[in-house]
Amino acid sequence: MTALVRLQGVSESFAGIRVLRDVDFDVQPGEVHALLGENGAGKSTLIKIIAGTHAPDSGVIRVGDDEMRAITPREAAKGGNATVYQELLLFPDLTAAENIFLGHAPKTGLGTLDWNQMRRRARELLDSLDSHDLDVDVKVGALSVANRQRIEIAKALSQNARVLIMDEPTAALADADVRRLMIVIKRLRERGVGIIYVSHKLPEIFEIADRVTVLRDGALIGTLPIAEVTEQTLVTMMVGREIDQLFPKPEPNFGATVLRVSNLGLGDRVRDISFELRRGEILGLAGLVGSGRTELALILFGITPATSGVIELDGRPVTITSPRQAKTLGIAYVPEDRGLQGLVRPMTVAQNNSMAALSHVARGVFLDLRAEAAKAAAAIRQLGIRARGPDQIVAQLSGGNQQKVVLGKWLETAPRILIMDEPTRGIDVGAKAEIHALMGRLAQQGLAILMISSELPEVLGMSDRVLVMHGGRLVATIDRADATPSTVGAAMAAASHAGEAA
Amino acid sequence: MTVTAPRARRSSVARFVAAYGQEIVIACALIALFIVVSAINPRFLGANNVNTIVSGNAYIAVAAIGMSMIIITGHIDVSVGALIGVLATISGTLAVSGYPVWVAWTAPIFIGAAINGGVGALVAYGRLPSIVVTLGMLSILRGGLVSSTGGAWINDLPPAFQIAQARWFGAPAPIWFMVILTVLAFLWMKNTAFGRSLYAIGGNAEAARAAGIPVERRTVQVFMIHGAFAGIATMLFATQLRVIQSTVPPNLELTIITASVIGGVSILGGTGTVIGSTLAAVLFAAIGSAMIFVNVSAYWLRAVIGLLILVTVLADMARRNREFWSNQR
Amino acid sequence: MTARGFLRHETILALLVLVALFVLDRQSDRFLTVDNLFNQGRLMTEVGLIAIVMTFVIVTGGIDLSVGSILGMTAILIGVFWKNMGLPLPAAIGMGLVVGAFAGFVNGVIITRFKVPPLIATLGTLALYRGIAEGVSEARSVRGYPEWFFVLGQGELWGAPTQLWIFAAVAIVAAVVLAYTTFGRTTYAVGSNEVAARFSGLGVDGAKIAIYSASGLAAAIAAAIFVSRVSTTRSDMGTGIELDAITAVVLGGTSIFGGRGTIIGTLLGLVLIQSLKNGLSLAGVKSDGTVVLIGAVLILTILISNLVHRDATR
Repeated sequence: MTALVRLQGVSESFAGIRVLRDVDFDVQPGEVHALLGENGAGKSTLIKIIAGTHAPDSGVIRVGDDEMRAITPREAAKGGNATVYQELLLFPDLTAAENIFLGHAPKTGLGTLDWNQMRRRARELLDSLDSHDLDVDVKVGALSVANRQRIEIAKALSQNARVLIMDEPTAALADADVRRLMIVIKRLRERGVGIIYVSHKLPEIFEIADRVTVLRDGALIGTLPIAEVTEQTLVTMMVGREIDQLFPKPEPNFGATVLRVSNLGLGDRVRDISFELRRGEILGLAGLVGSGRTELALILFGITPATSGVIELDGRPVTITSPRQAKTLGIAYVPEDRGLQGLVRPMTVAQNNSMAALSHVARGVFLDLRAEAAKAAAAIRQLGIRARGPDQIVAQLSGGNQQKVVLGKWLETAPRILIMDEPTRGIDVGAKAEIHALMGRLAQQGLAILMISSELPEVLGMSDRVLVMHGGRLVATIDRADATPSTVGAAMAAASHAGEAA
Repeated sequence: MTVTAPRARRSSVARFVAAYGQEIVIACALIALFIVVSAINPRFLGANNVNTIVSGNAYIAVAAIGMSMIIITGHIDVSVGALIGVLATISGTLAVSGYPVWVAWTAPIFIGAAINGGVGALVAYGRLPSIVVTLGMLSILRGGLVSSTGGAWINDLPPAFQIAQARWFGAPAPIWFMVILTVLAFLWMKNTAFGRSLYAIGGNAEAARAAGIPVERRTVQVFMIHGAFAGIATMLFATQLRVIQSTVPPNLELTIITASVIGGVSILGGTGTVIGSTLAAVLFAAIGSAMIFVNVSAYWLRAVIGLLILVTVLADMARRNREFWSNQR
Repeated sequence: MTARGFLRHETILALLVLVALFVLDRQSDRFLTVDNLFNQGRLMTEVGLIAIVMTFVIVTGGIDLSVGSILGMTAILIGVFWKNMGLPLPAAIGMGLVVGAFAGFVNGVIITRFKVPPLIATLGTLALYRGIAEGVSEARSVRGYPEWFFVLGQGELWGAPTQLWIFAAVAIVAAVVLAYTTFGRTTYAVGSNEVAARFSGLGVDGAKIAIYSASGLAAAIAAAIFVSRVSTTRSDMGTGIELDAITAVVLGGTSIFGGRGTIIGTLLGLVLIQSLKNGLSLAGVKSDGTVVLIGAVLILTILISNLVHRDATR
């Protein structure tokens, strides 16, 4: 059977770094082909080449029967390659129908756009994706992430995609939406569409994929039918070494209650939240996307002050109105979006390291650059950051090392509470373990950690207690001893069923 | 299996109001202004005055059509006033040099398109911010105009040149130009792939590129179209009087930009229509005239322009901030 | 900001300045005289003050198009405070500075509190402030200032033009602040990644308001010097000065996108532009021709800068 897309011997370099070496890859009709690899392994580059947005330095791309060196996005679309990116590429001020058909809208005899046909076909596409409640005339900017993703898929289908590339499609989806997506993908597979499924989530891959390809450091490690691999073998292929202990957790050493939150609320996004956090404790905050966890963190960090409720630090009530104030109160926040919120990428390790604690490297108003470099060097040592030195630009570091820089920045402020939002998202397995070890050490030294995470294994492995949020409310508090995939998962799911029944 | 009820479809009227809110506001403001000012000074509503307001300023509305397209695409042009000045001088020079009148009328359209095409190329392929390029262009054109004319005015224009004074089917020619061009441009922006691509580029240039839209080429094209509209506006502007001055009316570009912005074209790009900008240009001219009739010193006109821009933009930002918060997951 | 980056742009610029000075010296033996140089210094001060603070503005990723209008408005108001309201001239000048700083403060508030993009905010205030200048003055100019006032713009202090001392002081303070203080670091951070700066607890809004207020204050000081230099007050003063200032800043190596730039660069840019203007006028070109050149220089500079920095991490 002819492959829908076949890459042979494809290589690519960026700024002198080899990103792909001599990779072969193909997609058969009616198959789900999973693409696995740590961050920086070359997955994004590979799919960009297939989508036509990058041209490889060498190698051959075969789309259907045509053999080419490189393809433009237009050619890719004509050949039936469509991509659903992680950062959805939609137009917030245009309607759903228009977004779906932008660039290839149906035209009338006069050459103008046929709005009626566009809206009708958009309606058909959305219905085929089980999205009857999605209005074709609504502005996309008003839609939720899950709905926007459906528009993206409809967009791909509207071009009669034969190859659909999905890049981390479930990263921002709630469980119910993930289930619906799996059904959609299975239907597409039945129609003969070839799907390239890029994801970190091994359970999903085992559920849906027919074959899996693993990349490491730009090289092809192997392409195997899913029946021939296990989670262990995949991880070993990705990392190149055995990973036994993913979640080292030292013995906890709890101190006094440092944070008490009572009836905290912010509009309808965060409602009536009450909990306590002790020194030395790692409190896991689990929940579906959209449950209000990051919103809660942003309240505690002062980005969006609470509209109701009380926050007490070491017994004293406080109102937190800005990140600056949160900092002086000893609250630190390692954000969800590392690149945008956590780091100033064009600046050096030293400059990022001191950014939350400039006064520590300044005499009066004047910067002490030597002290800054010294502190950065110390952070590099203590956190195991792989960088050339304090003067390296952070944009050049890998995801795991960048996260360590962000962590180091906040440790410079000597916080008493550390909020970590998705601390190991988008980080390779090796660096994940290092960061978890760091967290455990910090907790043992008396830091109170509030950890927001969507990865159940991480929540279960690292937390002393687990809080589960849903729809802005706290629906369960589970001790480490009782925390299992079924109890925590059930808490998250039970809440959503209760919500639907109501 | 869960059954979800289909979302109630909004009524067509509700959708219309939501989509054209700003245009409706301007139309209401215009009507309100006329009512209020003519109550204070009935001569405001005189046919002659209304004619002067609309006809004499039609060229601003025409130029605002092109400017709206530029802003919708996510750019800006602060040099258009100087461009019109240069084109007017070229037009007049051609007219007095014995060229056929239609050449004097249409040459500015092509020259305007060419000059702005160059600007567009710098913005699109040179990746330069349009504010800086057009700021530089403003100097070049303004200085160039004064240097080359030496400050002299062009007199003795042939009477056939005065298309702005013509009347067709009972209405002044400029009004015909304004209305027809606005309607055509509106339909074109709404119903052609090219027109929609401008909204796409202004809304999210990266997504537009990924959707296969040739962003750079479109950018150059929209700048050229804007230059062409400036040329048409020149035709209406230069032919109003028997002379062509060697300078442009002060703040012309500001007035044109204001018309677009007040007309609902968001400075962030991606939304707005040319109908709004035309209505706003008329509103604007009406305010200028109203100030005279209500005895407010004309020296305060520019302050009023500034205030209008700020108020409109503040309202736009306030609305966006509110929407942003209500759309959080 | 690394040593290598500094080496590239500012050094090339310094070389260009030397070349320009050399060429101009050859062209006319009047160029390299103390008199002429001091005179050029005088002419350069008004743009220079504005350009120095504009460096901060552009480094934060913003822009201030209203500086020319603030200059005009302040100039008019100084005249009004002194002549119409009878205030003693020093007080009138002081009030003028306050008004200028406040006008800049308003810019800052519109940009931070209401989140209006700096481009359109300062375009609106450009109109508003110039409009206030025109409305208040009604095209009348104020004359008859006391003799001692002219020392500021036309006189000398310790052997050099008075305003040059002010300019030098401002330049030195600005350079130190931008390069060596926490405020300067905040400025660079805001321009590179405002969200991350905010999430690091830096006072982003406070810094912006301070910078835009300073921009207004610089325009006001320039206004006082300008009035003193030409002995009169008119409502169209300062028209177009924003172009000169922005050109100098961008020529000096500051990225229009923010995050990069130095005061020394801006100073070199100012010198280069002033030399160009001087050279052209000595060669008999009228001021309109010079304006054309400045516009062309602006476009060329950012074009070249963009091409050179295409590969840099951004």
